[in-house]
Amino acid sequence: MPKLVLKFENSILKEVPVGAKEVSIGRSPENGIVIDNPAVSHFHARVFNEEGRIMLEDFGSLNGTFVNGQRVKMVSLKAGDSVAIGKHTIVISDSRDLDGFANGSGNGKPVPPAPKLNETVMLDTKARRDFLQKVAAVGESAQVAPARIKVGTLIVRKGRTDQREYMLNDKLTVIGKSAMATVKLKAWFAPKAAAQINRRDDQSYYIGAADKTPSVNGQPITQPTKLSSGDVITVAGIELEFVYRD
Amino acid sequence: MGAEADMELEFGAHSDVGCVRENNEDSYRVAPEMNLFVLSDGMGGLDCGEVASRMAVDTIVEHCRKGRTSDSLPLTGPRIDGVSEMTNRLASAVRVANRAVNSAAMQNSTGRPMGATVCVVQFADERMSVAHVGDSRVYRLRGDEFEQLTHDHSFVAEQMRQGRMTAQEADSSKLHNVLIRALGVDPEVEVDASEELVLEGDTVLLCSDGLTRELTDAQIAALLHETEDPQEAANRLIDLAKQAGGGDNITVIVLRPAARPVGALGRVSRLGKWIKDSAERHKR
Repeated sequence: MPKLVLKFENSILKEVPVGAKEVSIGRSPENGIVIDNPAVSHFHARVFNEEGRIMLEDFGSLNGTFVNGQRVKMVSLKAGDSVAIGKHTIVISDSRDLDGFANGSGNGKPVPPAPKLNETVMLDTKARRDFLQKVAAVGESAQVAPARIKVGTLIVRKGRTDQREYMLNDKLTVIGKSAMATVKLKAWFAPKAAAQINRRDDQSYYIGAADKTPSVNGQPITQPTKLSSGDVITVAGIELEFVYRD
Repeated sequence: MGAEADMELEFGAHSDVGCVRENNEDSYRVAPEMNLFVLSDGMGGLDCGEVASRMAVDTIVEHCRKGRTSDSLPLTGPRIDGVSEMTNRLASAVRVANRAVNSAAMQNSTGRPMGATVCVVQFADERMSVAHVGDSRVYRLRGDEFEQLTHDHSFVAEQMRQGRMTAQEADSSKLHNVLIRALGVDPEVEVDASEELVLEGDTVLLCSDGLTRELTDAQIAALLHETEDPQEAANRLIDLAKQAGGGDNITVIVLRPAARPVGALGRVSRLGKWIKDSAERHKR
């Protein structure tokens, strides 16, 4: 399967296979490839598979998408093509080997020794540092920068609660009648804990079922579901809008 | 702390050497009086792994116990925002354990590296604090949803998170037992701490990777569904993992908030007390 390799200068930040599903590229965290750079539009471009051809479409972005130096609107891509968006580059690779780090991918990085069967081992300090630096590079360049963490907010649109708005500063937010609930339900028969919202380490928010199964934009959830700005949550007779605030 | 007394937890725990290894490097401790449960998987070979994991669980229980009796016990390491005092205490305990294992490793005459994973949970009513380092896991079963609440600090898990590996590739990778974070390796360790809601009817499972290497999530969830008694569930999970090969040590802790008649009675007795107190106040 061909893949998109996101690079910044000489470091590889991310590799995303292009399968049946299209890969969107942009500054917004909803994208498959997130490039957090002011020169990149929120929804900048997409790459998709059309009858076996890999297509790239620019969504009319302000600063453009360039393939091998040419500004493009919609083109077919081939292995080896280089797509420039802002200061980042996306290279189309046809390698079947996704295990880029472990096998070096030509970057000459040491490969951790294959451990004996079932024996848990630790990467030694140097190997781990190299690895963590790579992880950090992704964190800094291609995701939401830590300095600009956005806080999720719930706005009450319908129903009886103790506040109109709730900033989701905590890792765990409970909606219900319980003493530990942040979003306190006032209705007489409201459940103790109707639903929960977890802020995960990547600073995104996930809503999950508790005593009730909440709906997001009218769809009952079947598993913890990532919230995006503008999502409407209905649960236990209340309606909440989720938004990100800077 | 008064709130913790309301929480009634049933638990079962068990550890087994498995079918291949000669010694059990896993350790666990339950401290039901604190609603505290901790599990650790040691590594290092010879008896180093056992020493490391036992040191980890003992240090964590000890630090939490001290924290309860003394409000002034400082937190070790940075305070984490957006979580309770209890969660911060757990993270602090894990950091103290890291230092203990690290200094033991430094003094270790065999020169072998010594380390451990750890996962620990503590409950206050419906709030569960979770802290972990390494690839020992915490799961929650709620209805049909079996959710892993921790993410492994392993090489393959990190690759997957970055989209560099698919789940299939991770499963078949030779590197699946390479950790990128563990207790004892460095003098400081980054601890993942989070909070979760746990309701009556939920089951919480702590386990070492000896369980999850042998059994699928679906197998584990099915067994937890059909086994009411937590201790029996713990025993059966280990039996099943051994039948599947038992390639590593296996340790599990199964936790269930009790169907608390105690709570209901408690409420009635509190109501009685309130009426009595009001009557007293009225007299005065």
